[in-house]
Amino acid sequence: KQGCPVLNWHGIQNWHGTSLSSPEDKCQQVLEPPYDEMVAAHLRCTYAVANHDFVEAYKCQTVVVQYPSLGGTFQAHKEENWALPVMFAVTLDLRIFANNAEQQLLKKGKGKVGDMLEKAAEQLMSCFRVCASDNRAGIDDSKKWGMLFLVNQLFKIYFKINKLHLCKPLIRAIDSSNLKDDYSMAQRVTYKYYVGRKAMFDSDFKLAEDYLSFSFQHSHRSCQRNKRLILIYLLPVKMLLGHMPTNQLLRKYDLLQFADVTKAVSEGNLLLLNEALTKHETFFIRCGIFLILEKLKIITYRNLFKKVYHLLKTHQLPLDAFLVALKMMQVEEVDIDEVQCILANLIYMGHIKGYISHQHQKLVVSKQNPFPPLSSVS
Amino acid sequence: MSREIHAKCFPSHCTRGGGRRQKQRCEGEAKSSVSVPRGTCMTMCPAYELRQRELQNRLHRFEVLTGTEHDRLPRADVSCTVKEYSRPAAGKDSTRATDLRPPDILLKTVYYLVDDIAASSTLHPWTEVYSFVFDRLRSVRQDMIIQRISGPECVAVLERTVRFLLFASYRLCGQPLRLFDSCINDTHLQECLSWLLECYREGQHQHQEEFQALSLLYNLGSAQAVQHVLELPGSVRLSPPVRLALAIGRAYVERNPVRLLRLARRLDFLQGCALHRHLLPCRRDLLLLYSHGHSSRNCRFPIQKLADILSLESSLTAQLCRAHGIHVGGEWVIFSKGSFTESLSEELQCAQMHRLLEDKQQDLTVSDIIHGVA
Repeated sequence: KQGCPVLNWHGIQNWHGTSLSSPEDKCQQVLEPPYDEMVAAHLRCTYAVANHDFVEAYKCQTVVVQYPSLGGTFQAHKEENWALPVMFAVTLDLRIFANNAEQQLLKKGKGKVGDMLEKAAEQLMSCFRVCASDNRAGIDDSKKWGMLFLVNQLFKIYFKINKLHLCKPLIRAIDSSNLKDDYSMAQRVTYKYYVGRKAMFDSDFKLAEDYLSFSFQHSHRSCQRNKRLILIYLLPVKMLLGHMPTNQLLRKYDLLQFADVTKAVSEGNLLLLNEALTKHETFFIRCGIFLILEKLKIITYRNLFKKVYHLLKTHQLPLDAFLVALKMMQVEEVDIDEVQCILANLIYMGHIKGYISHQHQKLVVSKQNPFPPLSSVS
Repeated sequence: MSREIHAKCFPSHCTRGGGRRQKQRCEGEAKSSVSVPRGTCMTMCPAYELRQRELQNRLHRFEVLTGTEHDRLPRADVSCTVKEYSRPAAGKDSTRATDLRPPDILLKTVYYLVDDIAASSTLHPWTEVYSFVFDRLRSVRQDMIIQRISGPECVAVLERTVRFLLFASYRLCGQPLRLFDSCINDTHLQECLSWLLECYREGQHQHQEEFQALSLLYNLGSAQAVQHVLELPGSVRLSPPVRLALAIGRAYVERNPVRLLRLARRLDFLQGCALHRHLLPCRRDLLLLYSHGHSSRNCRFPIQKLADILSLESSLTAQLCRAHGIHVGGEWVIFSKGSFTESLSEELQCAQMHRLLEDKQQDLTVSDIIHGVA
């Protein structure tokens, strides 16, 4: 029973590429329902793909995916999960075709970004529910093993259509699952990558660092492209926490765009930072990290002001000194009031230990450790 | 079931032979041209609705024919009656052509609502004016959605709607909930803004920079709003209103309220309306930062200076400080990180601090504001 449909699947392989007159009839001859319709739809899909008609391919694929998602077929496999690889294959194709179909429509000036992907997401959610609700089978036969794969597919869609809030219930579902540490490493790396990026978006940088670091460290050595992708997000997070990457690392992964940014931040060089951000603006914006890198300005102010402190060698620093430093960095339109505000913010955040005396126009810093190390400040 | 899926998913070019193919293709084409309704109603209110509401005594007082207000059944003034918003319901056909207004009539309706109602110097109170215009504009949008209208009229309608809702968010700030619900206003404002920004994706639009900037200011702090603008073409991104809005956004993210409030002084009236709900929280934030940064028993901070950087009068500044536990003594305040309190004082409302905006409004008429001063 289990082997039959799969065997026939392989048999149908050699029908690919031949002219399709009526795949339904051919399939009906060989397979039991509902596999006959599922395979027929699959054949129409391959025909469409061969003709580069992804809109058509997507439509056909939605029919194929209906079978695992509507629970009729898969849920009927009461305590079996042999069909999971099939489900993985068809859902992956669904997402890919939806993506390609959207690109094709957009080129023709039709269709709205995200429409097809959202519909694909709905179908994937149905599959997910079928897997998540499998409470009867034992661990080895449970459909729950399909959950993480589907969650990763859904993450990819939600990130693409910019609806990150939809990730939350999925994250909750996986975190509360007892299988979460037993999925394949590849799936876990992908999962942590997306959850890390979501944490970044939510400004939860410590959490983002944990997840992205895990992802980076456990990525397979040969997956250079993946490691680079993870680094693009891990680097800004680490920099915000005070850890600058070495040029060696940046060169290894072809991420020298970060080199000037790193140098500027460590030196407290606001001018260089602004120049570096402008120079690689397009790259940073495309990756969605431009706004986070702008947050590095606060760290840069801190580093710059620390230099002023070391230069003047006193604990009562005239505010004017900071103004001069900022003006040297060609910061536009800054005056003493803004200097006070920047300093007040640094004190509030714990980057400087001290207080401002408006009357004396001075910053009075603590005699002990007035500029605590960045990693100790949350 | 399988035959239906079949028909839906496998159109003609995938099926060889069979008369089915011809029929499907014809059906497909016919469907796409007939299914989108095209309105034919040439008045602001469809005749059917006007009669119905007249008979049921459901005319708004702005729609009643002068002289008939006290009749048992007041008559409708056709030049003043406007189609009202009605919730879609089962069994209700909202696609009858005679009930739908085409794009040019919709734009005319909006002009009427702005010039004769919103900008009227005789209709009072403005909360009632707002409710009427809000509802009738919603109905205009409904007609646009049903007819899937896009293009210049759609943009013109949406732009005026956004300006109206932004103006209202400032003008009615502080009004009791039963008269003005700022949450509902906000929901509709966001919907219109999204729709408008979506329209801007194609073609050239005269006021695009204005509205990209307004969206940024209204959504201060939203990374999504900024990311959207960063991905726009250079000509829009580098235009003066957008640059100013981005600079204000940066000041917010860097947590520099002094800079933010200084830049805000450069905004025009409508931009000020867009930003205005964020101003009081910004001022509070400044007091919080200063409470920590200037925390010292021996130090005093001059109230006048504080008032300047807050863009407030000194009396209101003193009031705001006291509401947050900051000690006020004569011309000075004493900051202390221990005594700052977050409590949202009941007495202090945003509406008391509108001076900055009032000054900007000056000689602008409501009509100018909503149609957009050139």
